Amino acid sequence: MNASKTLEKTLVASPERKLEADADLDIVRKVQAGDVAAFDRLILKYRERVLGIIYNMTSNREDAADLAQDAFIKAFQSINRFQGQASFFTWLYRIAVNSTVTHLRKNRLRSFFSLESIREDDPVSKELIDALTDRAGVNRDSFVRELQEKLNDAMQKLSINHRTVVTLFEIDGLSHQEIAEVMDCSVGTVRSRLHYAKQLLQAELQPYLLK
Amino acid sequence: MKQDTEKRITVEDLLRLKRAERPPPEFWARFESEIRAKQLSAIVNKRPWWQGISAVIGFVNRHQLPFGAAAALALALAGIHYAASPSQLARSAEVKPEGKALAAAPVESVPAQLAPVALREAGPQREVEIEDRAASAPRSEGVAVTASHLTKAPTDIPVDAASKSPFADGIAVTLADYRQAAPEYTGQSVFSTDREFEPSVASVHAAPSEPLARMDPAEERRARLLAPALAAYSSGPRDWMKERVSSDERMYESIDRGTSDRMLVGFRF
Repeated sequence: MNASKTLEKTLVASPERKLEADADLDIVRKVQAGDVAAFDRLILKYRERVLGIIYNMTSNREDAADLAQDAFIKAFQSINRFQGQASFFTWLYRIAVNSTVTHLRKNRLRSFFSLESIREDDPVSKELIDALTDRAGVNRDSFVRELQEKLNDAMQKLSINHRTVVTLFEIDGLSHQEIAEVMDCSVGTVRSRLHYAKQLLQAELQPYLLK
Repeated sequence: MKQDTEKRITVEDLLRLKRAERPPPEFWARFESEIRAKQLSAIVNKRPWWQGISAVIGFVNRHQLPFGAAAALALALAGIHYAASPSQLARSAEVKPEGKALAAAPVESVPAQLAPVALREAGPQREVEIEDRAASAPRSEGVAVTASHLTKAPTDIPVDAASKSPFADGIAVTLADYRQAAPEYTGQSVFSTDREFEPSVASVHAAPSEPLARMDPAEERRARLLAPALAAYSSGPRDWMKERVSSDERMYESIDRGTSDRMLVGFRF
């Protein structure tokens, strides 16, 4: 029962997402009608998620901030071309992902980390860090920093498409269908890329995986 | 408790840590001010022209089906209109006016074999004489430019004159020359009429509008040359015998008195 629910969640968009999409469409209609200030609500709603996607794809917070701003500006400039056939967040994610992919391809040889600190106010993250540090018996702060670098390093070893799929599915929580819409590919391709990326990450992060 | 800490940690768990990599709250104030500045600069800066093209292409791509259907319909209507147009039918059957083609073509391009024999053998001096004679004589519409048109491109040739056959012009020149040299042979007995060539020139001059009905120059020449003979045959056996005797006598006289080139002219008719 639990497995089927998980499968359903990964395949189709949840009802909450559909309600969210309807609310976004109302705001977009207002912006299209000339209420430019209504776009601020969309920025406030999606800025953390957009920044999170871009940051996890680039592993550089300055680049992520610039690209996120550019993505919102592009969305604002093109808001009249949004027809409402897809949900607004899918459309916005596509703009953000395409901008990031273009940036990464342009600067393929120039990449360096500029990481945000891990905030331990999330109970799941705190529990996980506790478990890892207890086992290792090392200084917590240095271990967390090392783990963070190792994670980002492993992510950057993935190809851009695999990294995007992992970011959207594992970190942002999008379904396979939504990822397929954002990346303009089939659901099968998304699954295949996800499986392959996880295999690579598992090989890279083997020392941190506990049994 | 120990079992809880030693539970299996997966890649998914490690990736969940990345969700906790978030910027501090003060970052968002800067983010907002920067995005305002970028929004304003985007409004002020003129968008490059290719973005307009991409917008048009995007619009067409989004409406491929209506655009394709409209284009196919427009093509079909244009094709039907083009095929059903009566002017198009008439235009397709129409041939380019021959007179214009002849007027545009240089006259030097006429082969020397097609020139009248008398002109060919007489050479340039003969041409000068004929030109002088043609200039002094009252010009009829069809014969006026015949003396020089085989060797020199006419500058003021009218369009309808250009539609005349060069053979007819050459024959007319030869006839005029022959009449001056031997006026006794140009009478009614040899030629059915004193203005025998004028009707033929006129017939060429008034060319029918239907190009397919237009007579071939060779056929026209043959018909014109056979006309006296056919007339003699049709007038009866006795008249024919009389005409033959008289024409034979005149021919022998012309051979006796004339030069070699005149004899050639005599045999041509």
